[in-house]
Amino acid sequence: MSNLLAMARRIIHQILRDKRTLALLIIAPLLILTLVWYIFGAKTSEPNLAIINYQNSDLLPAFKASDYQRMSPLEAHQALADKKIDAYVDLKNPVKVHLEGSDPSRNGLAMNKIQKSMQKVQQISITKMQTQLKSVIQNQQKAIQAQQQIMKQMTIAMQQYAPSILIAIQQQAPKPEQPAKMQAPEKVSLDVSYLHGNDSLNTFDAFGPAMVGIFVFLFIFMIGGVSFLRERTTGTLDRLMASPIKNYQIIWGYMIGFGLFVIVQSFILTCYLVYVLKIYNVGSIADVLIIVFILSFSALSLSILLSTAAKNELQMFQFIPLVIVPQVFLSGLFPIDTLPRWVQMIGNLMPIHYSTEALRNIMIRGTGFAGWWLDGLVLIIFSLVFITLNIFTIRASRPLA
Amino acid sequence: MTYPVKGEHLHKKFKKQIVLDDVSLTLREGEIYGLIGPSGAGKTTLVKILLGLEKADSGNVELFEQKPTLSAFRSLGYMAQSDALYNELSAYQNLEFFASIQGLRGKAKKQRILEVAKNVGLDQDLKKGVAQFSGGMRRRLSLAAALVHEPRLYLLDEPTVGLDPLIRRDIWTLFHFLRSKGATIIVTTHVMDEVSQCDRVGLLSDGHLIAEGSPKELTEQYNVETVEDVFLVKEGAKG
Ligand SMILES: Nc1ncnc2c1ncn2[C@@H]1O[C@H](COP(=O)(O)OP(=O)(O)O)[C@@H](O)[C@H]1O
Ligand SMILES: [Mg+2]
Repeated sequence: MSNLLAMARRIIHQILRDKRTLALLIIAPLLILTLVWYIFGAKTSEPNLAIINYQNSDLLPAFKASDYQRMSPLEAHQALADKKIDAYVDLKNPVKVHLEGSDPSRNGLAMNKIQKSMQKVQQISITKMQTQLKSVIQNQQKAIQAQQQIMKQMTIAMQQYAPSILIAIQQQAPKPEQPAKMQAPEKVSLDVSYLHGNDSLNTFDAFGPAMVGIFVFLFIFMIGGVSFLRERTTGTLDRLMASPIKNYQIIWGYMIGFGLFVIVQSFILTCYLVYVLKIYNVGSIADVLIIVFILSFSALSLSILLSTAAKNELQMFQFIPLVIVPQVFLSGLFPIDTLPRWVQMIGNLMPIHYSTEALRNIMIRGTGFAGWWLDGLVLIIFSLVFITLNIFTIRASRPLA
Repeated sequence: MTYPVKGEHLHKKFKKQIVLDDVSLTLREGEIYGLIGPSGAGKTTLVKILLGLEKADSGNVELFEQKPTLSAFRSLGYMAQSDALYNELSAYQNLEFFASIQGLRGKAKKQRILEVAKNVGLDQDLKKGVAQFSGGMRRRLSLAAALVHEPRLYLLDEPTVGLDPLIRRDIWTLFHFLRSKGATIIVTTHVMDEVSQCDRVGLLSDGHLIAEGSPKELTEQYNVETVEDVFLVKEGAKG
């Protein structure tokens, strides 16, 4: 027990005295997340749009002047070529959209906006049709009323001159039905409700949970791996192995020593995300912390394990493309449902996959313990497996003990 | 007479390279044993096998006349060929850590640290970070870390390499002092003028222990001036 504490205390001293590592562990993830926040989270810029051939168009009200510049066809063509606008809409019937097209994300923005306007266009044409329809119906009603008037006069005449025929006619006549009521026009605008999140949820909010996982994992992986690697390359591990310390005390000592910084790091990072960057979070901050914390342990234990296979720091960093990059792509940042099954299986072996799932449940869906305990458990199992493998690895290089 | 370390018929290969070929070596209690040989002879490998940091392909190792156990390490001080220090820590913190791992506590620990620091002449530099240490200071601190728990057996891999002659003399004075308190020491070196300070030496060449005995015995037996010449005689005999 005291060996364990001595190990942990030494690691804490080491990190505290090594300002660069400390900064890498705590400040670097904050900086990078801020950068990512600016890239994905800042207000998505508005597309620059224009309309042409609007002069005689009824659709003009759907294209507000604040959103769409009014241009002549020639101007619009030129502006598009100069990338001054992303798209222009030709309001001549049928309506046509011309996109600049070289940047998919700008295309998407422009199309989004135009589609919203087109919904209004549809509304306009529907109201137009309704008013037309109404006037047609009103005309017909007037005609019917006039006919009814004539009929009444005819009936009066009949009563005077041929009452028996009138009765027969009245008996044969079909019972008048209730006149069909004019139905209220159906609402055309789409009413959107969100099961989770709301319409102000931006890309960063959605990416956030995955990003947290990725950067926490990356930095802990680098620092943990390198520091255990140094233990071997400088020979201090040999010195430890020539002492009465037990194998598990070496590994758990690392876990505990780093664990302290991991707690601090998780805490600062989570608070920064939620309170400073104001990432969308409806869940409990304590839950977020727990997941970030458990994830860090799996990163730490995995990095120690892989450091065994590295001869120097460069080789340790060569694991990053192998360990981190696939996790970035398969962790839920991008949808993986359509990928082949074996790729999905690989995704299931990745710690960040579980942290992303858990953090999404907590932060966006607001589920409590029920929503993340399973993912958390999987992460703990990952760590325990890695730790056990680590202990066995050390035992293998300590044949006599 | 007890034998703190005994290695019998040790063989070791790295891939195809034979590093130790049937080496047997027994240390007597209270002696300074010098393991000498050119670099690449297998000295470090032999020491590591005796310690249990490396597994021999075949052969037997006994520490304190029994199969090595973790608790045997408590009576054992090892100084690796590399300095094996934590660069981020101060000298004191380094010693403090190794002392704790060896089971020292509280006041006794602190006292021991100051004592060994004085022994190796670093008592004025304990607060300094190891990163600022010169090569010689690092070597001495590394030695201090091997001494801190007062073991009965020392395995020191090139403890004096890179030290200036004055400090080297002090270190050897320290070794003699430790022996006078009953410790057994095995020192590897390729500095030949240290050979005469050893009670016995073993000559390791290409994985073979080619000769063993006190320096005086060896020079007489082979009829040469210095122990170094024994290597030449042996090489000549081979050729
Ligand atoms: N871990 C290892 N893997 C492969 N070869 C090794 C290893 N350790 C030592 N050797 C080789 O074994 C030989 C003896 O090395 P060593 O015991 O360090 O010699 P010395 O300490 O006498 O200089 C050298 O040729 C060295 O290259
Ligand atoms: Mg050596």
